[in-house]
Amino acid sequence: MNKTMTVDILSSIKGAQPSESVNKLFDVIKNAIPSNATTLNNVNRNCVSVSNLRDDVVIASSAIERQIILENFPNKKNGFLVVAKVIEG
Amino acid sequence: MESQIKKIHQQLVSKQITCTALVQEKLDLLKQNTYNSVNSVLDTLALELAVKVDAKIARGETIGLLEGIPFGIKDVYMLQGTYATASSDLLKNYKSPYTATAIQKLLDAGAIPLVKENCDSFGHGSSSENTIFGAVKNAINPELVAGGSSGGSAVNVAKEYTVFSIGGDTGGSIRQPAGYNHIYGFKPTYGRISRFGLMAYASSTDCVGPLAKSIEDIRIVLNVMSGKDPKDQTSITSNEISEEAIATSGVKTVGYFKNFIESDAIDSQIKADFLATIEKLKAKGIEVKALDFFKSDILVSTYYTLAMAETASNLSRLDGTNYGNRIEAENLIETYAVTRSENFSEETKRRIVGGNQVLSQGFSDEIYLKGLALRDQISENFSRDFNEVDIILSPVTPGAPPKIGDSLKAPLAMYLSDAYTVGFSLGQLPTLTVPQGTSTGLQITAAKNNDELVLQFANFLKDTI
Repeated sequence: MNKTMTVDILSSIKGAQPSESVNKLFDVIKNAIPSNATTLNNVNRNCVSVSNLRDDVVIASSAIERQIILENFPNKKNGFLVVAKVIEG
Repeated sequence: MESQIKKIHQQLVSKQITCTALVQEKLDLLKQNTYNSVNSVLDTLALELAVKVDAKIARGETIGLLEGIPFGIKDVYMLQGTYATASSDLLKNYKSPYTATAIQKLLDAGAIPLVKENCDSFGHGSSSENTIFGAVKNAINPELVAGGSSGGSAVNVAKEYTVFSIGGDTGGSIRQPAGYNHIYGFKPTYGRISRFGLMAYASSTDCVGPLAKSIEDIRIVLNVMSGKDPKDQTSITSNEISEEAIATSGVKTVGYFKNFIESDAIDSQIKADFLATIEKLKAKGIEVKALDFFKSDILVSTYYTLAMAETASNLSRLDGTNYGNRIEAENLIETYAVTRSENFSEETKRRIVGGNQVLSQGFSDEIYLKGLALRDQISENFSRDFNEVDIILSPVTPGAPPKIGDSLKAPLAMYLSDAYTVGFSLGQLPTLTVPQGTSTGLQITAAKNNDELVLQFANFLKDTI
């Protein structure tokens, strides 16, 4: 089963093609030679430790927040916001 | 320049000016300006807040230092009830349902938001030309670009339409426009200021930061916005930086990257001016070390590989259903595709497609994972350097600002112009642009979490060169 997806499908952008300029940047990475094997020293990992996770809390939206969300999505039917179409098969 | 915040505060307290008159004057300047630095003016909100400050002063109550100080906000931040367009067609009618933590802290301190500022769409650019509101013009020479992506913010500060502005810096987006418009712009240590309410471009390097005309104003605004935020789990606890702590410099050793200066790409005048600055530091008894560093093309490629991968993921929610200006088509998949195709700019599409390229099966190992490995090595290099030197000094850009129109025609040249800023983003290091030393300024960088030392050295430099 061939599951290869092209970048236009992956990006949800019609007719999208890889850019020559961007490919030149990627070529530099492909040709780079990492200095040694010390590649995963986690210098920049910003993971939060399990002991430091914040509690799950339910925060009710304020009336103004709800109103603005409705304004951003003006399509409404029988009191529900209308998304493009509910799940397609 | 002296602190504008302190000067205006004094004028308000001594009743030399009213806050309403001050805000009205700035709003008029913003509305009339021809630099395309404004996406929307927040006149009703600003004037309401100004009236309250005046009433407080009239009652003889004490006001805080930031109370009544007008500021600008790059149009990628949430401020409840105002448009947050990211300078894009996709979000041109999108209203913020809530307020970003950094902005809320400024509001709580009494600062008055005047304007949502023009920028490159979603932060995608280094010239503030990738915007539906017209290319932002440079404050010093309007034929040139303002820089980007926080171009509108830099111009508003430079022209004194705002006292300070809040930009966002992913690969240089505060520092480079600050350099192009001769002001200060600070990218703090990653995580020092909460990213909650900042539209995500590349989450692992996105930073909130101030642009202003003095080091003292940068310090004041930085202190107010800093702090750990439960809404951004990558945010960190930090100490307040006092005025006294940055008054005198304890810096003994300064480093600079040899290959930045020996590069063929650097403008000869910028090179000469940078080297002259180095000589002045030596004359002041500071030890200067020339350091080895990664080649510029490696830095730029590593940054763009990771930033594009992250933006492809972050912007996937902008599909007309979760967010944005939906264009209906025959089915859901088509609706997503048409909405995104019609509403994203060419540069944004280029970055999303690039990101999906490097994340896709068969490419991730040789590009994305290698990019991550290179980033680790870059950070290790910085760690070693800061065992040798206290501060790293660099030019902000290899050249002067390009003419408006040139960058859009040559994306690769635009990417390469970020050569001196992106490395510090990958390292998550605190870096300040100062309007001195070269025609596009200098960058001062210290080790992670040493933001105080950066401001300290900036004060020293102000009096030295």
